Amino acid sequence: MFVCEEHYDVIVIGGGHAGCEAALAAAKLGAKTLLLTQSLDTVAQMSCNPSIGGIAKGQIVREIDALGGAMGRVTDHAALHYHMLNTGKGPAVHSPRVQCDKKVYQFTFKHFLELQPNLDIMQDEAVKISVSDRAVNGVLTLRNTFYHAKAVVLTTGTFLAGTIHIGTAMFRGGRYNDMPSDGLAKNLREDLHLHMMRFKTGTPMRINARGLDYSKFRLQPSDNPLQPISHFTDGTAQSKRTFLSCYITRTTLETDKILRANFQRSAMYSGHIHGLGPRYCPSVEDKIKKFPDVTSHPLFLEPEGFHTEEFYIQGFSTSMPEDVQRALIKSVPGMEKASITRPGYAIEYDFSDPRDLYASLESKLIPGLFMAGQINGTTGYEEAGGQGLMAGINAALKTQGKEPFVLRRDEAYIGVLIDDLINKGVNEPYRMFTSRAEYRILLRNDNADLRLTPHAFKLGLLDEKYKAPFEKYRALCQKLTQHPNAPVDENETELFPWTVQKARTHADIYQKYAGYYERNKKDAERLAEMDSIKIPEGFDPSAVRGLLFESAQKLAAVKPLTLGQAGRIPGVTPADLQLLAVHIERFRRLKNAKAAR
Amino acid sequence: MQQTICALATGAGGAVAIVRLSGPQACSLLCQLTRRSAAPEPRKQTLCTIYDGADPLDRCLVTYFQAPHSFTGEDVVEFALHASPYVKGRLLELLCAHGATPAKRGEFSQRAFLNGKMDLVEAQGLCDLIASGNKAAHKLAMDSLDGKLSNRVEEIKKRLSELLAQIEVRLDDVDEEMTPLSDEFIRQEITAVLEHIKALADTFSVGKYIKDGLKTAIVGAPNSGKSSLLNALVGFDRAIVSDQSGTTRDTVEETLEINGQKIILTDTAGIRDHALDPAEKEGMRRSHRAMETADLILFVLDASRPLTPEEQALWQDIRRQNKRTVIVWNKTDLPSARPSLEHEEAYARAEVSCKTGAGFDALKKLLTADLTEAKTADGLMISNLRHYEALLRAQTELESALIRLQAQAGGEIYAEHLRGALRYLQDLIGEVTPDDVLGIIFSKFCMGK
Repeated sequence: MFVCEEHYDVIVIGGGHAGCEAALAAAKLGAKTLLLTQSLDTVAQMSCNPSIGGIAKGQIVREIDALGGAMGRVTDHAALHYHMLNTGKGPAVHSPRVQCDKKVYQFTFKHFLELQPNLDIMQDEAVKISVSDRAVNGVLTLRNTFYHAKAVVLTTGTFLAGTIHIGTAMFRGGRYNDMPSDGLAKNLREDLHLHMMRFKTGTPMRINARGLDYSKFRLQPSDNPLQPISHFTDGTAQSKRTFLSCYITRTTLETDKILRANFQRSAMYSGHIHGLGPRYCPSVEDKIKKFPDVTSHPLFLEPEGFHTEEFYIQGFSTSMPEDVQRALIKSVPGMEKASITRPGYAIEYDFSDPRDLYASLESKLIPGLFMAGQINGTTGYEEAGGQGLMAGINAALKTQGKEPFVLRRDEAYIGVLIDDLINKGVNEPYRMFTSRAEYRILLRNDNADLRLTPHAFKLGLLDEKYKAPFEKYRALCQKLTQHPNAPVDENETELFPWTVQKARTHADIYQKYAGYYERNKKDAERLAEMDSIKIPEGFDPSAVRGLLFESAQKLAAVKPLTLGQAGRIPGVTPADLQLLAVHIERFRRLKNAKAAR
Repeated sequence: MQQTICALATGAGGAVAIVRLSGPQACSLLCQLTRRSAAPEPRKQTLCTIYDGADPLDRCLVTYFQAPHSFTGEDVVEFALHASPYVKGRLLELLCAHGATPAKRGEFSQRAFLNGKMDLVEAQGLCDLIASGNKAAHKLAMDSLDGKLSNRVEEIKKRLSELLAQIEVRLDDVDEEMTPLSDEFIRQEITAVLEHIKALADTFSVGKYIKDGLKTAIVGAPNSGKSSLLNALVGFDRAIVSDQSGTTRDTVEETLEINGQKIILTDTAGIRDHALDPAEKEGMRRSHRAMETADLILFVLDASRPLTPEEQALWQDIRRQNKRTVIVWNKTDLPSARPSLEHEEAYARAEVSCKTGAGFDALKKLLTADLTEAKTADGLMISNLRHYEALLRAQTELESALIRLQAQAGGEIYAEHLRGALRYLQDLIGEVTPDDVLGIIFSKFCMGK
């Protein structure tokens, strides 16, 4: 065994969307960081669709960006098509989505990592997390190298004990063409005793665009004017670039017939898959089974890059055998003559019960071990990136002996995401929706910077050069919300990358939602008040007499840190909270009395 | 920001009732309702008039305790009112309408403890009190699982959740494929739900019984002494009393006031299986109706003789009504053969003699037991101020949604109000989390990535 002489503060295992954000954030906070990945050529790979953003997900990307994360900036760099979703509805649900050149995306991200001071990247596979005195102290790799670390961030994606299914064919893999992480999976289950479970997800086939009949498609051109997804991208310069179109077509009765005739051959229905898949974004065979009355489903053709003819077919996710997939393609108008370049497949993988995590994303079972992304039962690049950023920040803060950084439900979708995960757990891959956010009116894509950028400056995640323009912008927004007709210097140049126009838009939206703003804020205040009541160390909420049995069980499972968190565990009643409040105070006084003696 | 809570601090009966208010808004609520510009001097009783809109509700003695020198350690106001159920109930309604919330069981003591006004020994009693509230609420939820009330609220919640899901799924529709909901459809659904909620809220005892009087049906076998009971309660021979059974052919109504509570007594014909003549049959039909429309049933039995099969059958009939019922054992002046009635221990009971007047004070107390706490209510009666308050707030949310719909404010705004309404309905039974709504969405709609 080679023991690396470096002593790292933080080691990030996995170089996907969670791992990359985690590594950048930890390094920016001054932690000596190492990113371990199986393959440097697949860092930040977009394993599924070639797009970033989407409904509620676009808001998360804006939040990551406002907090100094890289996802938004890399996306603008790799963008090949912009589309703002939901513009027919209110601004609270406007969501940016950007199609990207997959290769440009991953190599840009890799470059970001390489340029980041404090961050080392190494191609090797972690097989064991070393724990001593019940706390993480290092990582052992497949090459038998040992790295010292004070904290580890686990971002394993679909790689833990991954199994791929195409029809009844089944083989091991963390992604098509990549090895699964079996050593680490065994280590987590058998040595660290984490509560591991299985989920399933899937991806559609890719096709060669040669031979497509575009006349049968509906064209979806890129937005013009466009809105960059990063707050820091120059919109004017960005709009001068070249963009590609997407296309929309539909499944037919013939598609339906083929699927029905082959149900038994689908990996999903043949009994080979035991992990639970998501109810949204179902495979196309799922759609036919669950919605038999819908005879036609939309399909979106998304280019995989500028320098390739490959298209991703959104809506056609399947685990049917290859011959059926070929027949399916031919049943769709415009795709009759297209050929498959890569078949769709389903993948099963291990994840760990997120109720074992604190809001900092640190494991309650193993101090110093942080987790982010699919290992926590989520799905989506954006959900992964948001968690990665938070796990990276908190891992670094922990090694520096500082308090964790936690976002509230009324502050960010990222806050909603993590709060849901740790309190409710998951029974299907968790995907963000705007309807999960009770403060939807507050959590918009247009105000992500106003909500979160102050945190980023405070933590040191954003370049100081943005501080002065941001403060100017914030003051301008305040002025315009109070006095919409106040005189403004339209040619103000020191605002860049922010603009006067953006401040005006913000003020307009504020006017539209005025009463609801106050209402949401008031609710949020009550929430914050409950969250300020900490459950003291040594106090076991589940042992409080008089609690309902079910509540006591749930409290024992989640071990909440605050009274507010206890209240967000499903099934805990207001009377339970009353009892807890009294017992916490009682506990505190008894302890003080003891200390005085 | 702590909420301001209110509750009745005294039990039923007595000439004076105390309503207690605690929290940061206590002072401003007092000023608003009594039209004062400033709080009265602390710890001194002050005579004030409480206004219900333009009209005075009551003249009462008010004491203001300034934080931290109060029972709870917060600003506290105590109203010493005339103990009319209407006045008490209406004041609580007014306080809630102006921003207070009804206190949970043990909540005043809880605040006292948290503010250091109570020691650890006292706190143990407080914990028991809260725990019993927890159990009682839980039991209520369990008991009413097949009750009409929870079914009705469940139906309302379901319809509202479905509408919310229809709106939410369009907000989260990635494929941008769904046809928009018509304003007319949303309006119809909200209006329908609103009607149900209003109907339910209207059953609240403060609104209904206290204003309109408690409808009380006196039922029993012929000659068990129903008319004598009515007369003894009213104080003069209003009904025809005779020894020949079946004398009361019609129902007899009498309004009286006991301890400030308006009560409408209905004496019904004795219920007998073999009615002798057509007039008597008609009388019995009316008796049944009176029982059905009554809020309270007084079941009169002759304690001096065994139960007849008709009485056994009638008892089953009464129990099926699932209404607040008092069993009145009459003729206790005669040698007792006091039989027992199936499950009688679950009901309020009184032993009286219409001849001697024995037991009437106890009976009157039973009749006027605080109606806001009536427990054996008909499945569709709201008897708890907290529940009533929740319905009113849900109603307000839906009315706001309709107003915003008029202005075509957009799905995300309607959703705010529907969620608000659902949150208040949660106070009645069960829980709707956003995940429930997502459950509906996933089961009914095909959601893309």
